[in-house]
Parts: sequence; C-alpha cells; structure tokens
Amino acid sequence: MAIGTHNLKRFFSQYKILALLFAIAVIWLFFGQLTDGAFLTPRNFSNLLRQMAITGMLASGMVFIIISGEIDLSVGASLGLLGGVAAIMDYTYHFPVPVTILTVIVLGVGIGLFNGYWVAYLRVPSFIVSLAGFLAFRGLLLGLTKGTTVPLESPALVMIGQAYLPTMFGNLLGLGLFALMAVLTFRTRSGRAQHGLAVSPLWQDMVKLGVIGAVIVGFVYTLNQYEGIPVPVLVTLVILGIFSFLAKQTVFGRRIYSVGSNLEATRLSGVNVRMVKMLVFGLMGLMCAFAGLTTTARLAAGSPSAGTLGELDAIASCFIGGASSRGGVGTVYGALIGALIMASLDNGMSMIGVESFWQMIVKGAILLLAVWIDVISGAGSER
Amino acid sequence: MSEYLLDMRGIVKDFNGVKALDGIDLKVRPGEVVGLCGENGAGKSTLMKVLSAVYPYGTWQGQIFWEGKELKAHTIRQTEDAGIVIIHQELMLVPQLSVAENIFMGNEIRLPGGLMNYSAMYKRAEELMAELKMPDVNVALPVYHYGGGHQQLIEIAKALNKQAKLLILDEPTSSLTKAETEILLDIIRDLKRKGVACVMISHKLDEIAAVCDTISVIRDGAHVGTRPMSGMDTNEIITMMVGREIKNLFPREEHPIGEVFFEARNVTCLDVNNPRRKRVDNISFALRKGEILGVAGLVGAGRTELAMAIFGCYPGQYDAELWLDGKQISVDSPRSAVMQGICLVPEDRKRHGIVPLQGVGANITMAVLKDYARYGVINSEKELQQIEKSIARMRIKTASPDLPIRGLSGGNQQKAVLSKMLLPNPKVLILDEPTRGVDVGAKYEIYKLMFELVKQGLSIIMISSELPEVLGISDRVLVIGEGQLRGDFVNEGLTQEQVLTAALGQSSELAA
Repeated sequence: MAIGTHNLKRFFSQYKILALLFAIAVIWLFFGQLTDGAFLTPRNFSNLLRQMAITGMLASGMVFIIISGEIDLSVGASLGLLGGVAAIMDYTYHFPVPVTILTVIVLGVGIGLFNGYWVAYLRVPSFIVSLAGFLAFRGLLLGLTKGTTVPLESPALVMIGQAYLPTMFGNLLGLGLFALMAVLTFRTRSGRAQHGLAVSPLWQDMVKLGVIGAVIVGFVYTLNQYEGIPVPVLVTLVILGIFSFLAKQTVFGRRIYSVGSNLEATRLSGVNVRMVKMLVFGLMGLMCAFAGLTTTARLAAGSPSAGTLGELDAIASCFIGGASSRGGVGTVYGALIGALIMASLDNGMSMIGVESFWQMIVKGAILLLAVWIDVISGAGSER
Repeated sequence: MSEYLLDMRGIVKDFNGVKALDGIDLKVRPGEVVGLCGENGAGKSTLMKVLSAVYPYGTWQGQIFWEGKELKAHTIRQTEDAGIVIIHQELMLVPQLSVAENIFMGNEIRLPGGLMNYSAMYKRAEELMAELKMPDVNVALPVYHYGGGHQQLIEIAKALNKQAKLLILDEPTSSLTKAETEILLDIIRDLKRKGVACVMISHKLDEIAAVCDTISVIRDGAHVGTRPMSGMDTNEIITMMVGREIKNLFPREEHPIGEVFFEARNVTCLDVNNPRRKRVDNISFALRKGEILGVAGLVGAGRTELAMAIFGCYPGQYDAELWLDGKQISVDSPRSAVMQGICLVPEDRKRHGIVPLQGVGANITMAVLKDYARYGVINSEKELQQIEKSIARMRIKTASPDLPIRGLSGGNQQKAVLSKMLLPNPKVLILDEPTRGVDVGAKYEIYKLMFELVKQGLSIIMISSELPEVLGISDRVLVIGEGQLRGDFVNEGLTQEQVLTAALGQSSELAA
C-alpha cells in the first residue's frame, strides 16, 4: 500500500497539470449537469473567461511573489484604488485615454515598488506591509471617490474591458500560437539533443502538441461562436506568454526562484536579492494596474468596492496551480489554471443560485485544501 | 537469547528503484561501541534512519532484532521507548529554551494540571550534567549561552534521560574543538562502562580508532566488512571505505608564492546580540599571491566572522579595511566582494551554499548568470556549455545538470558550490571548512583543485577546524583565539601542538 500511495504522489507531483485539467473537467461537467447545459454554452464560457481574466492578471503577478517566498494581501485594494483613479481621471478630469492608462500603470508599478521597498529594504515582513496596504489603499480609494461609484466617459477605455476581437483575428491568433508552440518544442528538443541531455520521446511531444492544438482550436472556436475573444482574455494570454518567458529564460526569472528557494545562498553568491524582491513587487503592482483598468472598464465605472477579496482569489489560484507555500516553486500557467478553477466555481455556483456566503466558505475551503496538497505532496516531507 | 543488543539483518531500502541499502547487516552487543564508516552517500545515515524508524517498518525490507525480539517500529517514539536514541549531526535543540527544558522536551515532568515541575527537572538535569562531567552548566540558562561542545553533551543528556540503551551519534564531533572532542570521547567510554552501547558515524577516523571496539564499513549501500578495531589502523579503514588505497591524504604540490597581494587591517566584529562583545577583535593580516593561508582556531573563535566581514556579509556591526593589489577597496555586500574579486565558499552548505530546489547547473552559474545573458535574456546554449565544462572539471557526479542539487551527495554539492564561486574568476578565494561533511575521495579532489588554483596565481584563505588539514595544505597558518590573532606561522615544521597552544592562549592547561 505504501508503494501505491507513493507512486500516486509521484504521479501527481509530476503531472500536476493533468490533475488540474482533470479537476476543471469534473467541475465543468458537474455544473453543466446541474444547469442543464447552460454552464457549457459559448456565451457562458466567454463570461467565465472574462471573469477569470482579472483574477488571472493578479495571479500572474502573485505567483512570483509567492515563489520569492513572500505574500501580498494588498492587491485587491490596490486594484480598486488604481481602477478608481482611472475612473476619476476619465470622468472628473477628462484626461485623454492613453494618458489615463499610462498614469495608472506608472502609479501601479509605483505602489508595487513602494510595497517592495518596505519588504526588501526596510525588512518589514510582507504579510504586515501588505496588510497595511490592504487597509490604506482601500481607505485612499474611499477618500478619493467619497464612497460613490464614478462612471466612465470614454468609450475607448470601456473597450479594454468589454470589447471582443473580430473572428478572423481570433483564428489567425490561434494559428500563430500553435505555430509558436510547435517551433519552441522542436527547438528545445534539438537544443537538448545537442548537449546530450535526455530528450522526451517524440510521441510524447507530439501528443502534447496535439493536445495544445486541440485546446487552442476548441478555445478559439467556442469564443468565436459567441462574440470572439474578449480583450481582457487576450491580455491575460499575452501576459501568460511574457511571464512564462520571464520565468524560464531571463536572469530575473531565475533569480526569483533562487531567492525563494534559498535567500541566503543567493545573496552570498553576489546577487542583489533586495532588488530582486522589490522588482517582484513592482511587477505585482503592474498587474494590479492592468487588473484595475480592466475591472473599471468592464463595469464602465470605478467602484469603491472593486477588487474586494481579489487577493484571496489570486493567492488561492497560485496555490491551486502548484505554487509552494515554502517558496521556490510555482508556474504562471499553473496560477492561471488555478484562476480558471476559481472562476469556474464562482460562475457555476452563481448560476445554480448558491448563496454568496456559501461561495465564500467553499473558496476558503479550497484554498486550505490546495495548500494542504502542496504540503503533503511536496518536497517538504523530507526536510 | 541472543548475545546481541541489536541485530539488523539484510536491510534493503530503495528510493524509487534506486537501492540506497542493499542487504546490510549490523550487530551491536550491549555496551559495545561500533564505528560505522563509509564515504558520503554510502548509506550510513539511511541505515540509521531505518533503525530509528524515521523510515517506518514496512518501507524497507529485512529484519531488526532488538534484545532478541523483532522490532517493528512505525514511529520514532516507539524506537525511543525501546531505548534507541539518535543524535543527529545538526543538533535538535531549541536555543531560546533552557538546558533543562531542552533535556526534558517531550518528556516533561509535570505537576497536576499540566504545569511544569521545574524543581524536579532542574534537579534531574543537574544530575545528568554531573554524570557528563559538566557540573558548571547552569541548567536554567538558555541553551544559546553554551557553545557547540556543550550543546552536543546536552543532546547526550537528553538521550540518557530517555534511558537510552543504544546511542546513535551521527558525526558528533563535526563542530567540536579538539578539547571538546576529547571530553565527548571520554563520555562515550564512560557510557560504555555503564552498559550503554553506541553506534558512531564519523569521518574522523582517528576518533573512531580511539573509542570504537568494532568497526563496520559500508560502501555504496553494501556491507563491506565488520572487524574488531584492535589490530586495524586508519589506513586500512580508508582502504575498505573507498575500495582503493589513498596513499597521500594531502597532495601537497610546490607552487610559487609572490608578493603581498591582499591585506585586511583592523577587522573588528561586534556580536549581533551583545554589541559590547567583540567576536573579532582588531585582526590584521596579509595574504601573498599564490599563497594558501590556513586559518585555525577553536570553533567560535571568530574565524567565520572574520571571513564574513571580509566578504561583506557579517550580520552585525563591523569594521574592516581591505587592500587588494595595492589599492584600498570597499566591500559592503557579497555582491561588491564578488565584483572586486573576492569569493567565499561558506561553511554551512545547506543554509548558505546551495539553492536546493534549483538544478545543479543553475547553482553553478548563479554568480555569473548575467555574463550568459543579453538584455536579461539567458542564452541557454552558452550557459549549458559552461555548466558542462564545470561539471567535467570538478567531476561532479550528477545524472543531469537539470536535477535539483539537493539530491546530490555532500561532496558533489560542495564541488558545485566551489564551481559557482570560481566562475567569477576571483583573485582571493575564502574557503570556510571546505571539506566538512565531504568524503575522503572528494576531499582529495578539493585539495588537488586548491593547488591547481594557487598555481594559476589565485590566493586562498582556508578556514578549517581539522588541524591535519590546515597543516597538510597551508603555506602559512593564522591562529585565532577568542576573536584575537594569536599566531601567524610559516608552515615549516609546524606541529598540531604549537597551533593548539596558540589557539588556547592563556588557558593552555587544557591543551595538556
């Protein structure tokens, strides 16, 4: 029996992604059944993905925070604040849209770096720094909006949250994406072969590519059935691509993992670990800006309660997606799959009329469960 | 009834199909001290984890007989109740708790209502301390007041309090000074007379020779042989361990030594918690080009602190004036040290050396990763070429550069950390206990490498607690005691006694 569970654990840690996809399938079928198929319509998928996009943006930033061994509880509040600023700039002061967007982005990065400075240089635990932000940013937002909802004026700004890509463009995008994946796969293969490193069997990579292709086709086709790919979803996918590249192929990405796995050893290797940490928070701030703009655009208004508990969804997404609570482990795509699971639950439970207090309880339980799975399946058992 | 207290038969333990132990036998009589020897990765620690039920019954094959009956323990608690107590290499004490609280941790003497019965615990703790010939220890003081040697004995007191019949000591002297080691060995002999048996794992063969009755050698998970210690010498043990003969432990090679190249002046470090105490007290020294400078001293004398101050990573307040190649340099962080040509291979490999979850390759290129990147994007091809070169040069044994480094043996990890700190092309290399927890074969290779490096004009500062190593490798030896420079000797005809006497300074009566 012991060997059986051991193998199961190994299987799960190795193919965690499969387990997650399996979980998504189960959730979708479950809600599909309960809603007589309404959950599984293209319209609802489009909805679901747009819902997921905001959590996904936050989770993409959060996953690096968690990998580096920190936490950020302030992202929901800074999302609200940044969204509010966008609305005020647009409605009250009539700034041109590009100026509004740019200002919000700069402000978001600024907020992130500010948090990061407190954590990395002033050495206040990130839990506390971000808890302070959780309060203060929300307070700032309430002060700025005087507690009222600020509508948007510019249609261009609203489009960020509500527009769709034309069908044709979506098809091309899917095709391009698949071509990119294929090229990357074969480049990795030949690169590894050249250095005598183990290359996974060809059929395995082909199956992988086949699955990716099927997912892309299904994705583009389904969304085109409705209105096309929503802009926020596109933005999230672009972020996924860029951040995955950042994690794997850049010095900064490598540093994030090594800071989270062993801060002291990294520092003693001559790495400026404080800078790495601060920049990770800066990146988080950037994602808050994106998420804030998207939220405001989607609602076509800056709401004083926007983003409430957004940090919880983002953090849960990361852990569901395989990030480790001990730092050093995690992936962007994992975090996004986690976000998809969270959004599916949200969406599905709302559709079948589960009361919101139940939704909160379920999400809390899932966060707990996800971290528990990390603890029991993780490397920690040997330490 | 069997004559053996412990009789392990045909123990097999595999990890995902790789056999770490392949049919090992180990027998211990009551009151016998058995030395368990083997290179790193030979399976010593795994065997002890099987015995103490860190790996519970059923996760390995074979049989364990304890006092004639088969032992099927599923938890460490069960083995401890039977009388098997393991003392790990890394001590398991809580520094902030008192000596007595540590001794009774998990076995507290209680008053009704769950209150701690301090007076009873203090009394028993004092008895134990007296038994271990440490009557001066104040059992109510926090453990951090006492040094590594005392702490090791406190661990033993904890074990004795559990009525241990068999003590397993895993590298018990790795952080002890010579004098402390002597005390520990005496205690082991004492326990032996009282009928407590002992399995001692150690890389220090002279200690094994001094105290063990029997020696058991394992190699690559297999049992090589068990022999009575009498009539063996350490060379024979080494031969059994490595399966080949290593004639010269210290492959000293001639190399030219140049002019003074690096100088540290007036290095002073204040204790982190108690700034009135000086951990390093105004030490100045010079290092020549191509020289190996050994730094000897007792544990806690301030050697590591000195190295940290030079490398810009001492955690408390410190002062240091550094001169490199005739120019004064300012080092305020490890980063600036590395950039100016000073590299440190730290003492505590696990905490300060390796990034456990990352691949061997990523660990090796960590300090110079930017050189393999353009606009922050890593050129994997170029990086991999360097990694392969380093792995080949140091003969690091790993199935793939992608494998997480924590899966490697201590010796291979150390070689990887060394490679990492060589890539920035340092001019001065500081090695803090470079061979700690490293097996004989890897040690030899590290020494070889050191000579190769100084021949290329590098200067090396080597901190070591092993005097034979200091004397076997260094061109010159600094001796540090209680934060002060106690001696600066050219290593010609220098003896262990001279170094030790200098290190002990005033309290030289201990050296006798």
